[in-house]
Amino acid sequence: MTTTIATAPTLPASTHQFAEVIHRLEAGGSMLPDTPDNLKQIIGIYKAYAVPMDFYWRDLLYIAEKVFLNPLPAFKYFISKEYLDRQNAYAGDQASLRIWRGPGDAHPELREFMAKGESGRKLPKLLHHLWHDRVNMEFAEACMDAMLWHEDINPTFNAYLYTDEYIANSDRAIRAYFKGNPLMLGLYKLFPEMFLEQVRRLSYYANLGLFWEVMAPVFFEMSDLYDEGKMTTVPEAMDFLVNGIFAIAGRPIYHHVYIGDECYEIIPKSQGFTWLYEAALPYVEAVFYRTAPFRGTKSYNAQAGQVPDDQKDFHYGILYADVFPVGSAGIPPTLLMQDMLHFLPDYLVEEYQQHSRGEDDMLIQLGITFQRSMYNVTSAVIQALRCALLYPLDDPNPEHLKANRAFFEQQIDRFKRPEARLDDIQQQSYR
Amino acid sequence: MPNIVEIAVSTEGFSTLVAAVQAAGLVEALSGEGPLTVFAPTDDAFAKLPPGTVQTLVDNPPQLARILKYHVVAGRWAQSDIAKEESLPSLESSPIPVRVNSAFEVKNATVVAADIEATNGIIHVIDNVILMG
Amino acid sequence: MLSLLIWLPILGALLLAFLPIKLSATNARNAALAVSGASLLWTVVLFTRFDLGTASFQMREFIAWLPLLGLDYDLALDGLSLMMVALNSLLTWIAICSSSTTIERPRFFYSLMLFVSGGVAGAFLAQNLLLFFFLFEIELVPLYFLISVWGGEKREYAATKFLLYTALAGAFIFAGFVGTVWLGGTLDFSYEQALQSEIPLPTQIVLLGILLVGFGIKIPLIPFHTWLPDTYVSASPPVAIMLGGVLAKLGTYGIFRFGLGLFPEAWSALGPFLAVWAAASVLYGAVTAIAQKDIKRMVAYSSIGHMGYVMLGGAAFTELSVVGAISQMVSHGLILALLFHLVGVVETKVGTRQLDQLNGLLNPLRGLPLISALLVLSGMASAGIPGLVGFITEFLVFQGSYSVYPIATLFCVVGTGLTAVYFVILINRTCFGRLDNETAYYDKVTNGERVPAFVLAAIVLTLGLQPSWLVLWSESTSARLIAAVPITQTAASLQLETSRDSVNDGAHL
Repeated sequence: MTTTIATAPTLPASTHQFAEVIHRLEAGGSMLPDTPDNLKQIIGIYKAYAVPMDFYWRDLLYIAEKVFLNPLPAFKYFISKEYLDRQNAYAGDQASLRIWRGPGDAHPELREFMAKGESGRKLPKLLHHLWHDRVNMEFAEACMDAMLWHEDINPTFNAYLYTDEYIANSDRAIRAYFKGNPLMLGLYKLFPEMFLEQVRRLSYYANLGLFWEVMAPVFFEMSDLYDEGKMTTVPEAMDFLVNGIFAIAGRPIYHHVYIGDECYEIIPKSQGFTWLYEAALPYVEAVFYRTAPFRGTKSYNAQAGQVPDDQKDFHYGILYADVFPVGSAGIPPTLLMQDMLHFLPDYLVEEYQQHSRGEDDMLIQLGITFQRSMYNVTSAVIQALRCALLYPLDDPNPEHLKANRAFFEQQIDRFKRPEARLDDIQQQSYR
Repeated sequence: MPNIVEIAVSTEGFSTLVAAVQAAGLVEALSGEGPLTVFAPTDDAFAKLPPGTVQTLVDNPPQLARILKYHVVAGRWAQSDIAKEESLPSLESSPIPVRVNSAFEVKNATVVAADIEATNGIIHVIDNVILMG
Repeated sequence: MLSLLIWLPILGALLLAFLPIKLSATNARNAALAVSGASLLWTVVLFTRFDLGTASFQMREFIAWLPLLGLDYDLALDGLSLMMVALNSLLTWIAICSSSTTIERPRFFYSLMLFVSGGVAGAFLAQNLLLFFFLFEIELVPLYFLISVWGGEKREYAATKFLLYTALAGAFIFAGFVGTVWLGGTLDFSYEQALQSEIPLPTQIVLLGILLVGFGIKIPLIPFHTWLPDTYVSASPPVAIMLGGVLAKLGTYGIFRFGLGLFPEAWSALGPFLAVWAAASVLYGAVTAIAQKDIKRMVAYSSIGHMGYVMLGGAAFTELSVVGAISQMVSHGLILALLFHLVGVVETKVGTRQLDQLNGLLNPLRGLPLISALLVLSGMASAGIPGLVGFITEFLVFQGSYSVYPIATLFCVVGTGLTAVYFVILINRTCFGRLDNETAYYDKVTNGERVPAFVLAAIVLTLGLQPSWLVLWSESTSARLIAAVPITQTAASLQLETSRDSVNDGAHL
C-alpha cells in the first residue's frame, strides 16, 4: 500500500501493451503519470467533486430513509434541514474516525450555492430547481441506477434483496408508510412486487449514499493536505486513497427507513454488509467501467452490435467516456461536470483559462481532469485489491511478484479497448 | 486437550485475533462442537493492515464476524487433506484458494505453523489476514 | 458619380501600395476596409438615386478618349449593371473582411484587391465595347498575383491555368467585339452604336457563338470549366470570394449585355441550344460536386451548377426568367461568398478540407458551432430552401423558363435536388457526428471572422423573405431586353402577368 520502492529486479520487463503503466503500478505508482500538473488537476477536481458529493450522499440517504415510497416524489431533491445538518460519520468533532478535519455538517460552499445558485440571486428554492440552477441529483441517481441494473456485480447484497427476511422487513415498512391510505395499500395488495422493487431501488440509494458519505471527507482532506503542501505527488494521493479504502472497508452498509418516530430496518447492520465489498467495489465496476450507453448526442445502434450483448462487457463509464462531445459522454456525466464547475478551486480555473479555449470549454477540460482523477482512484482500488488479495510490492518471492504482475496485467487488459482513455491520460496535452 | 479458543488465548502472538473474536461474539461458536479448521492470523498479520482497518471492524461486530468467518472452514482439514484441494469453502461462503507445494499457502498468506490440533478442530497459523474477493 | 466606384478603390489601391509610410497588417486591412466601405456606401447612394421608371441607361458619364479607335470613357447604369456593381462593392468589402489579419505582404494584397474591385466596377459600367474589354483583360494581372502569391497548394499551376484560360476568353471576346463593330459598318465601339448596327442573322449567330465561347470560359460553362476547380481551390478564401462571387459574373454579365443585348434575334434562334447547354452545366456541376471529397472543391463545383441557372434564365428569354437570371447572379454571388468564407474559416481552424477528416463541428464547446450553423444555413440557401434568397431566384428562373423549355427546366429542377444531396453530404460529414479527441483542439473563431458571415447571412435571409427588394431593380431593364425581340412580344407580355403574380407570391413566402 504505502510501498514506493522500485520493482524487484527479479522479473523481466513486461511485454504488455501498457508495459510502462504496469511497471509504474509495480513500483507503487498510479496509472496516472506523476507530474505536478496531474497532481494539481486531480486534487482540484476532487475538491470540486466533494462539494456536490456532500449533497449527493445527504440527499440519497434522505430519499432512501425519509422520502421512501412517496408516490409523487416531486420534492425529493429538496433535502430537509436535518439531513443538511447531519454529521458525516468521518468528519467533524463527533466522528469516531475523523478523515477530514473540517466540520461534519453540509459544506459551507454547498450551503451558499444552494441559497444563491449560479445566478447569485436568492430566489425561492422552486425557481432555482426549475431553472436547473442547483446540484444535479440526476447524476447521483444515474450512478445508483447503474449499480441497481448491473446486479451481477454485487451478488451477496443483491441476493439478500430477494430473501424472505428482506421482504418481511419491507412489508412492515410499506404498511407503516401507507397506514391510513387505503388506495396505496390496495395497490400494494394487488401489485406487491412493484412496491418491493421500489424498495430494492431505495436500498441502492442508501448503499450509494453511505458509500459517498465516506468519499466526500476523503476528498476534502486530500484538498486540504495539498493546500498545506503535505501532499506532493500523485502516488501520495493514491496511497491516501488506498489507506482510506482499508480504514473504512468494514463500515456497515444498511438501509433504515424512518416513518414517524420509528426506525424500520430494511437491511439491518447486523447483516454484515461492508463498505468495501457491497458498496465500493460494485460502485467502481458499475460507474467507472460499465454504466450504460447514455442517450446523449451520440446514439447507439444495438442491432448493429454497437452495444455489447453481455452486460459485463459494457464500457460506458468515465474511464472510457468520450468527454469531448458534450452529452455523448452521457447527459448525467455532463450534469456532474456542470456541478463541479461551480466549486472549482481558483488554481484550476486559472489553469483552464490558459489552455484550449479557456472559459468557453471549461466543461470539457474539467471533464478530462475528472477522467484523470478517476484513473487515479481506480489505481488506488487496484492497489488496494493487490494489497488485500495478493502480495507486497517488495515481496522477495518471485512467484508472488509474478502473481502481482498477472493481476496488474489482467486489470489493465480492460483498457485495451479502443474507447479506453488510458493512453490519452498519459499525455499532458489531452485536455 | 484445549479447544480452539483456549489455544489462541494461551498462545502468545494472537492477542489481536482473540480480541477480534471476542468483539465479534464468536467465542461461543469457536468453542463449540465443531469440528472446525481455523486459519489464525498472527498479531503481526493484523499489524500489516493499514491503520484504522481493524478499528473500524472492531467497532462493527457483524462486519468483523464476516471477515473472521472467512478464516474458518467446517471440518477438520489437516495440511495433508488440504494438499488434495484447490480451495475450501469458508463459513463466510466465499471459497479460500489453497496451495500446498514447496510452501503451504492459503490465498495470499503463508502457513507458518500447520496442524495444531484442538479438541474441536485444527488450527493453521498464517502470516496475513486473508480477505474475500 | 459612377466614376467614383472605379477611381475610389483604384486611388486607394495606389495609396496603399506606394504611400511611403509604415503600415502594419492590421492598419493596411483597416485602410482597405475603409476604402471599400466608402465604395459600398456610395453604391447605396446610387440606389437612392436610381430611377426605377427608366428602362434604359442612366447617370451617363462620357469623356472622349481615343476617338480614332472609337474608344471612349463612357459609363452608364441600368438595372443589370446596378445589381452587378452592388454585388461587387459588397463582396469586395466582405472579401477584405474575411482576409486574415496576419496576411503576408498586406499592403500589396489589399491594394490588388481594391484594384480588382475598381476595375470590375468599371467593366460593369462600361458603355464602350473596347473599354469593357480593356478592363476585363486588365483584371487578369492583379488576379494572377492574388492567386499565385497568396494561394494554397498548387497555386502557381492554378494561377497560370487561370491566366491562360481567361486570356483565351479575352481573345474570343475581342474577336466578337471587333467583328460586331466592323461588320456593323462603324468604327465606333460604343454600345449605343453597336445596338443600332444591322447585321444579317447568320453572321449574328456566328458572332454570338464567338462571344458565347469567350464568356462561357469566364462563367464558366462546361466544357470550358476545367480551370475553375483548380483556381477556386488554390485561391485563398477572400480571392475565391472575388473570383466566384464577382469575377464569374463578368461572364454572365457579358453574355447578357453583349450577347443577348446586341444580338437578340440570334439569341432567340440559339435559345434551345443554350437551354440544353445550361441544363447540362447544372447537372454536370451538381453530379461532380457530389463526388468531391474536398469541401472547397465541392463548393467550387456547385458554382458551375448554379451559373447554369443564370444561363437557363437567359436562354428562356422571358421577362420573368431574365429577372430571375439577374437576381440569380446576385444570390449566387452572396451564397457562394458565404460558403467560401465559411469553408475558409473551417480550413483555418481545423486545418483540413477533407470530408473524411472533418467531423462534429457543431459541438458547442470544442467545435465551431456558429460557423457550422451558418454553413447549414448557406447550404440550405444554395439548395433553394424557401425563405432564403436561393429559392426565390431559382424559382423565378424556373417559372419563367418552364413554358419555353420545359424539359431543360425540369432537368435543372433535378439539379437543385442534387444540390441538396451534396450539401447534405457536406453538412452531415462536417457538422454532425462526433469530434475526434485526438485533433479537436481548434482555435476559437474570432468575432472578426464572424462578421462577414453574419452580414451575408442576414442579406440572404432578408432577401429571401422580402424578394421584391432584390427583383424590383432589374424589372424594367429585363423588360427592355425582352422588348428588343418583336416576335416573342405576346409571349413576353403573357409572362409579364404571371411574373408579377409569382413575385408577389414569393414575397409572401
